[in-house]
Amino acid sequence: MLLLYESASGYALFDKTEAEEIAMQSEEGQQSILEFSRFSKLVKLVAFIPFASPEQALENINHISEGMLHEHLRNFLETKIPSLKSGKKSKIQVGVSDPRLGTVIQEALQVSCVCNDTITELMRGCRLHFSSFIKDLKAGDLDKAQLGLGHAYSRSKVKFNVNRVDNMII
Amino acid sequence: GRGGMKAGAKVVIEPHRHAGVFIARGKEDALVTKNLVPGESVYGEKRVSVETDEGKVEYRVWNPFRSKIAAAILGGVSNIHIAPGKKVLYLGAASGTTVSHVADIVGPTGMVYAVEFSHRSGRDLINMAKKRTNVIPIIEDARHPQRYRMLVGMVDAQFADVAQPDQARLFALNAHQFLKNGGGFMISIKANCIDSTAEPAVVFAKEVKKLQQEGFKPSEQLTLEPYERDHAVVVGIYRPAKKQ
Repeated sequence: MLLLYESASGYALFDKTEAEEIAMQSEEGQQSILEFSRFSKLVKLVAFIPFASPEQALENINHISEGMLHEHLRNFLETKIPSLKSGKKSKIQVGVSDPRLGTVIQEALQVSCVCNDTITELMRGCRLHFSSFIKDLKAGDLDKAQLGLGHAYSRSKVKFNVNRVDNMII
Repeated sequence: GRGGMKAGAKVVIEPHRHAGVFIARGKEDALVTKNLVPGESVYGEKRVSVETDEGKVEYRVWNPFRSKIAAAILGGVSNIHIAPGKKVLYLGAASGTTVSHVADIVGPTGMVYAVEFSHRSGRDLINMAKKRTNVIPIIEDARHPQRYRMLVGMVDAQFADVAQPDQARLFALNAHQFLKNGGGFMISIKANCIDSTAEPAVVFAKEVKKLQQEGFKPSEQLTLEPYERDHAVVVGIYRPAKKQ
């Protein structure tokens, strides 16, 4: 099974090896998520595509927040999901964080998507260890990306002009 | 003069039991945090400067009547789970007045993810965050954490002051995605926002029960008298490690 993880720095695709099937909510499952040495055996990085510009990142979060498939993500999935690359039908599943996005991907790319409690637990592991997986990210890079994108996203949400300060009428 | 606690008054700063929080002892004692942006107030709060070996250090007065966390600290809460270097998810950030103090506490090595849905308050929050680069403003509905999942990392602590009937549910939804195992939590509960007909104590107990079902282990509950009426905060640990 593949996992789609969306970060402020870019999209990542992980492969969860099916070898050991342990309940993620169990004590044992939780330990395999918390320790990077164990999680990196359970889940392997397939691909990471960083956003090329702040504008591209903003466009993509605007799509992700609404459960929509941006062209950039579509291209990423088409080139990185092995069965789509080869054009062969396969039973591969993609775990996603948002069922709405899952439905859209399923319809657009003919690949089945899942979103359940197990996926939520695995995504916690991806979020916890993300910087360790992506070697190109230096310490603090992800924080900076979150900060920049957080401001851009929030400014675009607030309909008011943020530079205008209201005067109190007493 | 302007901004000082009292012109010429002698003020001594003492560290509070909670790391990153201080007490200014002068004519009257005040809870304060070390100003991350010296020379500026965020919402008209008073500032206190003291001379130290490393030069002037400025603190901002934290008013318990305007902040649930400050009220909880003065009420003697045993742990706020917010400390220097910590990452905090703050739900219901409003204009960012309390968030600015949380940012002072976590300091430059920490981070505050501040979620607020109201655009009007959000504008003030964004402006405050421009000067405090350890605050990430997120203008979004805390009921739908998947909408801002690209912006948030795993956090050490989660706080909420949302005053919504479904707050326990949205608190849990956020924790399931973003709060570390063993992470701290604090939630403010305003009884009549949940159920205006029931006794506050009954409302608090029900909310605690909901939290317990979602993996939260409350360790403490305290009411915020005399600063707030029929308000309580519940503090504890999310998914605590099992004892060996």
